[in-house]
Amino acid sequence: MARKMLVDEEMNQTNQEEAHYDFDLFVIGAGSGGVRAARFSANYGAKVGICELPFHPISSEVIGGVGGTCVIRGCVPKKILVYGAAFGSELEDARNYGWELNEKLDFNWKKLLHKKTDEIIRLNGIYKRLLSNAGVKLFEGEGKIVGPNEVEVTQLDGTKLSYSAKHILIATGSRAHRPPIPGQELGITSDEALSLEDLPKHAVVLGGGYIAVEFASIWRGLGANVDLFFRKELPLRGFDDEMRAVVARNLERRGINLHPQTNLTELIKTDNGIKVTTDHGEELIADVVLFATGRLPNSKRLNLEAVGVELDNTGAVKVDEYSRTSIPSVWAVGDVTNRMNLTPVALMEGTCFAKTVFGKEPSKPDYSHVPCAVFSIPPLSVVGLSEEQAIEQANGDVLVFTSTFNPMKNTVSGRQEKTVMKLVVDAETDKVLGASMCGPDAPEIMQGIAVALQCGATKAQFDSTVGIHPSAAEEFVTMRSVSRRITCRGKPKTNL
Amino acid sequence: MATTSFTAPKLSSPTFQTLCRNFPLSLPIPKTLSSFSFHLSPFLSRFHLHHHHYHPPRFHPRRLFAVRAESENGAEPIRHYDFDLFTIGAGSGGVRASRFAANFGASVAVCELPFSTISSETTGGVGGTCGLRGCVPKKLMVYASKYSHEFDESNGFGWKYDTEPKHDWSTLMANKNAELQRLTGIYKNILNKAGVTLIEGRGKIVDPHTVDVDGKLYTARNILISVGGRPFIPDIPGREYAIDSDAALDLPSKPEKVAIVGGGYIALEFAGIFNGLTSEVHVFIRQKKVLRGFDEEIRDFIGEQMALRGIQFHTEESPQAIVKSADGSLSLKTNKGTIEGFSHIMFATGRRPNTKNLGLESVGVKINKNGAIEVDEYSRTTVPSIWAVGDVTDRINLTPVALMEGAALAKTLFQNEPTKPDYRAVPSAVFSQPPIGQVGLTEEQAIKEYGDIDVYTANFRPLKATLSGLPDRVFMKLIVCAKTNKVIGLHMCGEDSAEIAQGFAVAVKAGLTKADFDATVGIHPTSAEEFVTMRSPTRKIRQSSESQGNMGHEAKTAAGV
Repeated sequence: MARKMLVDEEMNQTNQEEAHYDFDLFVIGAGSGGVRAARFSANYGAKVGICELPFHPISSEVIGGVGGTCVIRGCVPKKILVYGAAFGSELEDARNYGWELNEKLDFNWKKLLHKKTDEIIRLNGIYKRLLSNAGVKLFEGEGKIVGPNEVEVTQLDGTKLSYSAKHILIATGSRAHRPPIPGQELGITSDEALSLEDLPKHAVVLGGGYIAVEFASIWRGLGANVDLFFRKELPLRGFDDEMRAVVARNLERRGINLHPQTNLTELIKTDNGIKVTTDHGEELIADVVLFATGRLPNSKRLNLEAVGVELDNTGAVKVDEYSRTSIPSVWAVGDVTNRMNLTPVALMEGTCFAKTVFGKEPSKPDYSHVPCAVFSIPPLSVVGLSEEQAIEQANGDVLVFTSTFNPMKNTVSGRQEKTVMKLVVDAETDKVLGASMCGPDAPEIMQGIAVALQCGATKAQFDSTVGIHPSAAEEFVTMRSVSRRITCRGKPKTNL
Repeated sequence: MATTSFTAPKLSSPTFQTLCRNFPLSLPIPKTLSSFSFHLSPFLSRFHLHHHHYHPPRFHPRRLFAVRAESENGAEPIRHYDFDLFTIGAGSGGVRASRFAANFGASVAVCELPFSTISSETTGGVGGTCGLRGCVPKKLMVYASKYSHEFDESNGFGWKYDTEPKHDWSTLMANKNAELQRLTGIYKNILNKAGVTLIEGRGKIVDPHTVDVDGKLYTARNILISVGGRPFIPDIPGREYAIDSDAALDLPSKPEKVAIVGGGYIALEFAGIFNGLTSEVHVFIRQKKVLRGFDEEIRDFIGEQMALRGIQFHTEESPQAIVKSADGSLSLKTNKGTIEGFSHIMFATGRRPNTKNLGLESVGVKINKNGAIEVDEYSRTTVPSIWAVGDVTDRINLTPVALMEGAALAKTLFQNEPTKPDYRAVPSAVFSQPPIGQVGLTEEQAIKEYGDIDVYTANFRPLKATLSGLPDRVFMKLIVCAKTNKVIGLHMCGEDSAEIAQGFAVAVKAGLTKADFDATVGIHPTSAEEFVTMRSPTRKIRQSSESQGNMGHEAKTAAGV
């Protein structure tokens, strides 16, 4: 409320001053959040400029591209490779359905890579068109903040443009980072991994997050040997523990070598490939080593400190609930703020920003019940609380419903892989606090469940929904008996 | 097992309570009939629109009162029965009702015909249509047939085949039938574990409390009829050469060129199956479009998508005769001409309830003109001790609905909790290729019922298709009540539609609004996220008083933001 008044007051003030700016809004960074904020602000009538680095699949301080991480170096190319890789096991499964295929299937990595690049170039063009259709002026070059209302864009030829803007939005995203170990320059990040010349024969992946798990699945699906190293006992820290174990088991069953509680200490170039040493003293040779050890906000070359925009200790731009930085005319959305680093969240933040600043409707992004997916093979998708979070936050008992089943397709294909689903329910209010699933189509299935959770649906409402038969998703509405009941003190006991 | 009706009672001195427990005593009786119908009508009218096959069950106020009077007066003689419940037919509804009844403490028997993949008057099998001749084998065939499309897709992702993948029909049939055998075993096990007595044979009702199974008599306090339905082939010359869906699921060899007569979901599913398994497929439909009763835009879209995959549609063509030529091939004569050279002609022209030779007429169980058993909202027939669930009642013929009816019946009878199945917002899927998922009203139904609605549509090329280069598209549609903002219909045709629709069905059933959908963050990149990112209506339909009646609905594109 206080914030709202501040915004209005300030706007009135500037109106009175009749200050003239080149733009109502200047956005630095044309990824998901920046493009959304720019377009929506323009739709509200604002005069908007946006700058972005030149296009290239592999990003650097001076290279980026309209579309940002999601389109060029993240969600989209990743999903394309997952589609490609998933065919590997799909085709195996075809045999028991009567299909006669060659013993060894031919896969052409270069073709997939080429088509992937074509597609992201196409999307890059679509994003540019979206901006121009909305009347947003696009500048190619590196943006910097010179003052609270002034930006400078260094173009490709070195010439500098300077513009004043009533509001500046930082939406520069983030980049993969490498751990400081000897020989780290021999490893690659997800950027390069999405554009490798050749399919690795033996890949080493360091990291336990979703990026690590996804690339391990992609390469394994395409036939590579994959060793996955991570610090914890299970991959995917932060997700529901039971589901983490399910993912780990699936990865292992599909032939990925898991090395829990193991770190890499050194990479050395040899004639046979990269020699990788672990903190357990193991050594192995790989042709590709991927660091999927986290991403850092792109906040370094923006001149933020000079104008007084505060950063946190990870380098993320500090913002309030409306995405405003410590300088009232400067705002930030997306990964550069390191809140919840997901494309749809950046879109939400961009939308809220436009509404708040140009739509006269102060809007805070709502971070509760944000669903997400890990496109491992098979994928994991979740919304709401994990069992551990639910227990931690619960006032009363927590009911856990789980279903582990053999998907119908596997009954004939013979694939040994169970789908697991889980609902976490508040015993007192009957509200479904969290849902998770690991199995084919999980991300598609979870979206509708997310709508239900967003609105506080109860277990009774799930139960009263008729199933769609035969589907995997119908399990979510047919979980009749509770698997366990956990008291608020956190002591599990069975409900027999 | 006892076969006569008056053996010694199990309880030496039954208390009133223990007896009562198993009585259908407490069906809620409305105070007045008018208040009841008032309560009922919104549901019925909505439901009627929802499903064109549906005929609302007639309400039998007198009989309900009679039940109460009977039990209150203790008019029914205390009598011992072999079973509290005898179920005829061990398909989805019958097994569910029997298991749940047994779990609630009832003594239960169920009879079922011997197993066969083809149903008849004398063959069936535990598992019923869904497990043996419907959902399950159909879906397995869909999985098998989808591969040819996946091979094409995989080409675009860098996969190559030195020789074109060939399909071996007999491997598929053998593996499919092994799975069906396994399933029928599982069903038997489930019944066994629940303590339900399974009797193999043909059940026939002798009197309101007695069932004859191949000459043996069993008595029961309640009888449940859950014998399902069977495919129906119209009486045209040469119909003996036609096959139905039972046979189509278990053909000894691949049909080279198949005619499918019918435009309903079964016809479309089989068209996809045979097309995927590389048969030449012709579909003959009486109307201009397939899938009568579905949303018009979905009907158009699925027709286009299937045609793009090589299925040939013959619209407004009704079959008149089948002729077998000397070389053994079949010709289909229609009102428009004759098409020759079919190896198989399949009729998917509807299903009929299995109500013949059940002894229904003799005990007074009323059947409607389609042969379906008439039941009230609690699935009770015109004979108070006889109940019916599932396809034999021809309400909404879906497995999960039969399960719901079966579960509700067990609660009503044996848990003192009279329960009506709730037919609102029942989602369903068509496993055509691409599949369809839907819940709630079609646009046409919504206009009729609510007048003012907003329609949101998306028609896009999914990410997978941009790489595969195939002409696959996805169509999605949300129908929103303009007055309440509630989402009253959701439709999708495209990959994963059936899986996607389920979660949204929870939301639609819970009565959530478009604003709730909008407030939900997407899962990126998925197709499903499109349902929560539909910002501007494709059209707003207003039936304001000034615009005259059926001159066509005012459609306008909403302003940008």
